[in-house]
Amino acid sequence: MKWFRTLKLTMNMWTVLSIIFVLLVLLPNLSIIVQFFSEPNENWLHIREYMLQQYIQNTLVLVLFVGFLTLVIGTSLAWIISAYDFPLRGFFQWGLILPLAIPPYIGAYTYHGILNYTGVIQTSLRNQFDMTVNQQYFNIMNMPGAIFILTIFLFPYVFTITKAFLARQSTALVENARILGSSSWRIYFKVVLPISRAAIIAGVSLVVLEVLNDYGVVSYYGIQTFTTAIFQTWFGMGDLQSAVKLAGTLMIIVLFLLVLERIFRGRRRYSFTTTKVKLLQPVKLEGKQKWLAFSYCSFIFLIAFLIPIAQLLHWATLTYKQFFSNEFWGLIWNSITVAFIAASMIVVIAVVISNFARLNRGMLAKTFPKVTILGYSIPGAVIAVGIVTFFTAIDRELFDFYEWLGLQPTLVISTSIFMLIFAYVIRYLAVGYNSIESGFDRIGTNFTEASRMLGMSVTKSFFKVDMKLIRGAIFGGFILAFIDIMKELPLTLILRPFNFDTLATKAYQYASDEMIHQAAIPSIIIVVVSAMAIYVFHHVLEKE
Amino acid sequence: MFVHIRELAFKYPNAKESTIKDFNLTIDQGEIISILGESGSGKSTILRLIAGLEMPTNGNIMVGDHCMCSNSSFIQPEKRGVGMVFQDYALFPHMTVEDNIKFGLQKWPRKDKKERIGEVLELVNLEDYRKRYPFELSGGQQQRVALARALAPKPKLLLFDEPFSNLDADLQIRIREELRRIIKATGVTSIFVTHDQDDSQALADRIVVLRKGAVAQIGTPSEVLGTDCSFDERLPVKPRILSRV
Repeated sequence: MKWFRTLKLTMNMWTVLSIIFVLLVLLPNLSIIVQFFSEPNENWLHIREYMLQQYIQNTLVLVLFVGFLTLVIGTSLAWIISAYDFPLRGFFQWGLILPLAIPPYIGAYTYHGILNYTGVIQTSLRNQFDMTVNQQYFNIMNMPGAIFILTIFLFPYVFTITKAFLARQSTALVENARILGSSSWRIYFKVVLPISRAAIIAGVSLVVLEVLNDYGVVSYYGIQTFTTAIFQTWFGMGDLQSAVKLAGTLMIIVLFLLVLERIFRGRRRYSFTTTKVKLLQPVKLEGKQKWLAFSYCSFIFLIAFLIPIAQLLHWATLTYKQFFSNEFWGLIWNSITVAFIAASMIVVIAVVISNFARLNRGMLAKTFPKVTILGYSIPGAVIAVGIVTFFTAIDRELFDFYEWLGLQPTLVISTSIFMLIFAYVIRYLAVGYNSIESGFDRIGTNFTEASRMLGMSVTKSFFKVDMKLIRGAIFGGFILAFIDIMKELPLTLILRPFNFDTLATKAYQYASDEMIHQAAIPSIIIVVVSAMAIYVFHHVLEKE
Repeated sequence: MFVHIRELAFKYPNAKESTIKDFNLTIDQGEIISILGESGSGKSTILRLIAGLEMPTNGNIMVGDHCMCSNSSFIQPEKRGVGMVFQDYALFPHMTVEDNIKFGLQKWPRKDKKERIGEVLELVNLEDYRKRYPFELSGGQQQRVALARALAPKPKLLLFDEPFSNLDADLQIRIREELRRIIKATGVTSIFVTHDQDDSQALADRIVVLRKGAVAQIGTPSEVLGTDCSFDERLPVKPRILSRV
């Protein structure tokens, strides 16, 4: 009797919609897991025998080196900027986040364009100094090059999380260590690194997930990893079944890494408590040290932001006419439309699930938020494979249905833009969800309860009270999701309908076709929009 | 008997022990009851159970002739006709005083709404503050708005969660008197929870002492607090006013 009472009460619109949304997010992933265990075909046996080892090896080398290098650069910059005062420190605080605005694939072809035979460096050397250099030293399209690119454009993840932690949480420990007379190197290795372990691991995990997700850099530089292999088996060999097997393997690696992260991070969380915080007071550097700190920060800022941007701007001046073509405005229109629709859906789904999770207790309310984050951990190529298999299966069912209706049977969903939007929603749901959840956390449940005591149902309370109080969080979640979708490459490349291009795919295509100059303007638009997101994000974060 | 609570029990999903164990209480119409207990004794949970914000693991709650909850039924908080004044008042920050009060009157005809808002504002002496926003009011004024908002829909039963915990000591004494006057003037049956013996003594017709989720003692203020000297030893909660000095 009691369970019936509970069931009747919890089965409202919010619960039902939450369950539907969560299932929609889960199904494509489950579809990979199910098919992962299907009978292997000849291709797969071939891949497993001769190629899989290479994929795993390359992927691991990338992950390890990029992970380690971003750790070194990110934490050292975070420490220097939190603990010391030197020229332009205020600027570097946010300037060093800016490299995040350049998607690595754009950085990859920009640097290739700078360094290759016709690039600015080699032509200057030839024309000005009559020097011809050994091409070998200027070739970036290899493994070390990919590591370089991914490191300089992804280190801000480690930098920002560690810096936020150091600035607020380390004050007492660092000041004590200073009083006890430790040198700054000693403090860095003995105090800073150990206490910010959880924050550093959180940052590095984000980097690792981005590396695993990357398709643009590795495919442009011709490195065989899991994502490129998924593309090749699928489009090159037309073998979706083996692509599913690869995707499944990659998914297992990701899940393994997530478990590893949990273990390493231990029970400590990287987010800080919002109670009274004392900010770390930076020590003023003098003489040589001052310029050393300044040079280090400037060097990183130069190679990770200023140089690629300058190059893109230069190319843009050569191709600005492109800006006035109808085709170009079509690209912008496409990018904005899909991003707008998907981000709106993300916001609605995130609001429903987070409102359900905060107003209920029990298993579902606890697990649902975790499911929403799932998509952000899983590489785009894997999600794409899951979605295609899932929708083709649905289409096949509908096929019979259309026939039964007496209509001309066609593949409807699996060739439509709907599939791409659906994929965006799964991949970036976490971005919107985090923002909206933190909004709900701030207002608590008191207002909702007060509203219910005054005779309003949960739904009416949401529209009259809660929604008005978390407007900012909803807007923030929308913007962040919107911009992530605009930059997205692998999902869009796989799932876009025939003849459908966005700024990102077109830029990438130009670059791949050795028309790097033409790639500049769409790239700059993406960078500018992303920089705005960073501004919004840190502006909102700082205010709170 | 207006309110009848029988064998009420409650346990949080992951807690080892029940927060409320076998709680029984009957209240007459128009009576003011105080539930007195230390923090963690479960007193606020009882209020939330009566309000319908939590679902009991066992027991019945009757208000008037209506069964609010039993082992087979449960009426949602918005359908109970019970009012509540929250500890932090929970005034909607994006609405004026008037709109906050109007919020609970959504189904009333427009003319009656206006009249009722005037009535309750007069009752709490805030007629001139209609157009103010909550953040433009002092703590005492905010509390009176919260009271007016809860009274406006004419609830059968009014609940107060630690109504004085956010007020200064001298304000607390004044408001206590005023609150009793207002409650008695409206004749609404009321329950308030507190950890302050002075509050209970000044406000309540009867006091329920709660310890570890079970009733330890019920009686008039003089029965519970007045003559029984041993009480202070059993309930190590000092009156707030003394503890502030």
